[in-house]
Amino acid sequence: MTTNGIQDQRLHALDAVRGFALLLGVAFHAAMSFLPFLPPGIWSIVDNSPSAFLGDAGFVAHCFRMSLFFFIAGFFARLLYHKCGARGFWTNRALRILVPLVVGWVIMVPLVFAIWGMGMEKMLNGAPPPPMPEMPKGWFPLTHLWFLYQLLLLYAAFTVIRALFVRIDRAQKLRNLVDAALTAALRLPIGVFLFGLPLAAALMALPFWFYWTGIPTPDSSLIPLVPATVGYGTAFVIGWLVHRSKGALAAIESRWFVHLALAVIATGWLLHTTHVSPLAQPGLTKTLFACIFGVAVWGWIFGLTGAALRFLSNYSPVRRYIADASYWIYLAHLPVVAALAVWVGHWPLHWGLKYPFILVVSFAVLFLSYHFLVRPTFIGKLLNGRKYPRKGAAAAVTPPAPPVAPGPQDDQPVAELRGIVKKYGTTTALAGIDVQVRRGELLAVLGPNGAGKSTAISLWLGLIEADEGEVRLLGGSPQDLARRRGLGVMMQDVDLPKELKVRELVRLAASYYDQPMSVDEALQRAGIEKLADRAYGKLSGGQKRQAQFAVAICGRPQVLFLDEPTVGLDIQAREALWASVRRLLADGCSVVLTTHYLEEAEALASRITVVTRGRVIASGTVDDMRALVARRQITCETRLAAEDVRGWPGVVDAQRVQDRLQITATDAEGVVRRLLSADEKLGRLEVRQAGLNEAFNELTKEAA
Amino acid sequence: MNALAVRTTIHSTFDTLASLRGREFGAYLTETQYELTRMVRNPGVAIPVLLLPCALYALFALLIAGEAINKDPNLGVFLFAAFSIMSVTMPAMFGIGVSLALERDMGLLRLKRAQPAPPAAWVVAKIVAGLVLAVLAYAPILTLAVATGKLALAPGQVFALSGALMVGTIPFTAMGLMIGALCSGSAAPGFANLIYLPGCYLSGMFFPLPKSMYWQAPIWPQFHVEQFAMHMTGITKMQFEPLSMAIATMLGYTVLFAGVTIWRLSQKG
Repeated sequence: MTTNGIQDQRLHALDAVRGFALLLGVAFHAAMSFLPFLPPGIWSIVDNSPSAFLGDAGFVAHCFRMSLFFFIAGFFARLLYHKCGARGFWTNRALRILVPLVVGWVIMVPLVFAIWGMGMEKMLNGAPPPPMPEMPKGWFPLTHLWFLYQLLLLYAAFTVIRALFVRIDRAQKLRNLVDAALTAALRLPIGVFLFGLPLAAALMALPFWFYWTGIPTPDSSLIPLVPATVGYGTAFVIGWLVHRSKGALAAIESRWFVHLALAVIATGWLLHTTHVSPLAQPGLTKTLFACIFGVAVWGWIFGLTGAALRFLSNYSPVRRYIADASYWIYLAHLPVVAALAVWVGHWPLHWGLKYPFILVVSFAVLFLSYHFLVRPTFIGKLLNGRKYPRKGAAAAVTPPAPPVAPGPQDDQPVAELRGIVKKYGTTTALAGIDVQVRRGELLAVLGPNGAGKSTAISLWLGLIEADEGEVRLLGGSPQDLARRRGLGVMMQDVDLPKELKVRELVRLAASYYDQPMSVDEALQRAGIEKLADRAYGKLSGGQKRQAQFAVAICGRPQVLFLDEPTVGLDIQAREALWASVRRLLADGCSVVLTTHYLEEAEALASRITVVTRGRVIASGTVDDMRALVARRQITCETRLAAEDVRGWPGVVDAQRVQDRLQITATDAEGVVRRLLSADEKLGRLEVRQAGLNEAFNELTKEAA
Repeated sequence: MNALAVRTTIHSTFDTLASLRGREFGAYLTETQYELTRMVRNPGVAIPVLLLPCALYALFALLIAGEAINKDPNLGVFLFAAFSIMSVTMPAMFGIGVSLALERDMGLLRLKRAQPAPPAAWVVAKIVAGLVLAVLAYAPILTLAVATGKLALAPGQVFALSGALMVGTIPFTAMGLMIGALCSGSAAPGFANLIYLPGCYLSGMFFPLPKSMYWQAPIWPQFHVEQFAMHMTGITKMQFEPLSMAIATMLGYTVLFAGVTIWRLSQKG
């Protein structure tokens, strides 16, 4: 069973998408009375100001909104299933889906009939109503609540299919293959072309298909319709699989623009075709339309979901509120919107006024009803699993769990990498590393070139994203701008604008922060007051590094990232920079330092981590590292066996290298004394001190 | 007012505005202010952009086509619009595009992304600087045209035409950003010329095209900006496409170029 550690932030984005799909449905239904081609009776009234524009907009919205909803529903279904187990899942779904379906239906149907009757009366203007058309066998008015019914059917089907799969695919092989295929299809991205094919086949088989309706709505019978079941079923399956697959969400996120662009192109073509002939004729156009319809559906699903993941993944109280409200609003909106349509239907006004009017009034009514009747009551608890205390608007939008404000608790690490894997193509830059930085400490990251040091820093800076694992900065994602206000950075290979003066560069950087130090203080701390009015382009290499240091510290960062800060500095400037770093540490700032100079790490670091080939091979305090230094290497020609020597006190390791014995010892004197007394013929004795440099080289060599 | 007083005024205006609207707004202002400062301190980039269109206008409109304009004042408007388009779009292309490419080479964009800079601050700064440069480049052409009497338009029409020209910089700003995002600093000027200059000629802006070349004119964004400008003056004679088409194409190009830019920057940074 895969638990892919999907972060809360991603769920915020998906909640937002679901809310969007539902609210889009309200906007869609509000447009129904203005559609120029809808015969009377389908909607509550036919407005006297038809709108071709709303017809087109409605087509676009309608082609993907329910599929999008079912996709997200599939995703959350698996999440819930794995969180609560089969029994918990069904209890939850019974309360949240079945109860609203039954109760909603009982309330909804008489209302809908009454409103439709009012509309009909208004349209006929007193004339006797036409005889009711005979309803086909099995007719059952589900109203817009059909989606709950369809959802329950899918849940049931999935419980069965899942059980079968678990039985057949005991070793997870098949499922792992499916996961990999899904991620690949999303990355390429060919998923949009493939996932719509089942739906396309179902649509092609329809004898009468009005292009505009897209997937015919299964709202008038309890017997499931084939296209809806296939189309929404596929969306549900893919949603479910996206939750399974480790890389799928990241792939959707990174390809959001491509998917959205495909959706726009496909939808444009579809719109054009509906204008040519609204009813599908058998032939090539129908086939093509069905296939491209699939592309549009999946383009919108992945494009919108990806864009949300990309841009809306942080916590926002307003979005949270809207997402919570959306379920109630969708359940309750139909009579409100339809009644308003009847009310304004014969007003002698342009639809450009009437449509916004319906939207504004219905959203106002629905949000108010949510805020006062649902959110603080048992209905809210039933629909969203949570009841908010009635404390006015301010309290109502307080987040469920306090969002981690910049500035974590003292005992929490200020920056952390947890199980990070990062690959560039086929090269693995980081192969599962865990690093923590605590408040007020300086962590030196050492390692040869290409070890993954810069990749680790880039992750913390939010410049790149990890393939696996979690990156935390000041208690949350480094993608969050508010959190990044707590960091300062000095990067390698960066040149600042050469036309600007040092003072101006610092002032510009300070403008990004909430409580920066004064420009003069930053310059003074970096030891470059005298260079304040020199243009950056006129500085020497070392002076440029000092200016960059001033830029890095001017925001009073809580975490400071220094990537090879002293390259090119003379000894004096380096000492000055070290002194400044010590002062920052004393103020409680944490520092992450990468360096090639071991003495720099020794001079400043509280802890040292050695990284090679994307792995942490040694980590500890400076004293731990000194213990490595304290070891000495003894080599000699002797008849003594390595296995025996290895057992002596003070010996860390002993090996025979060619004809000589090589001993690593902590107590070299004692070992030499014993060696000499144990073998009087011993010769070519050598004792060497292992420096930090060597210890470090040894370590990295071992790892290689 | 002396230069120092002007500077103090500008600084204090920026500072006041910055304190008015909070930190993020302040970052936008500071970024823009320094983008303009850099432009002023590095006139080598700006001068050719400022002078070339004006010189070409003098050559074509005043010397070569001077007589023809006297006979048909509409032609004068058309040529004025053409060289003005060049003057306002070149800063967008070269000022914004090339400087973006150079800054990407310098790693400056990476640094800004790592720093808590508002993500759009540098874009806004570049666009504002491009617009300022566009106005600076447009002013001498306008002065020249009015002074020589080659611009037979009422003040209202001049105003509408100027507005249209500023709107016309939008797709070129996007194109400049795209080039800056795609090319390295050394290649950017070359590529910018490669896609910009042919468009000036092949769109039929500077001289009439032979009939056999008509088909390709609408490929170039310059053609549509020129058409947009002519619609705004209300002169019907030189209108070759409906206004809606011109606007739609400009919008389309903007979306396309901006899309490529965003895609590229999100891939490479």
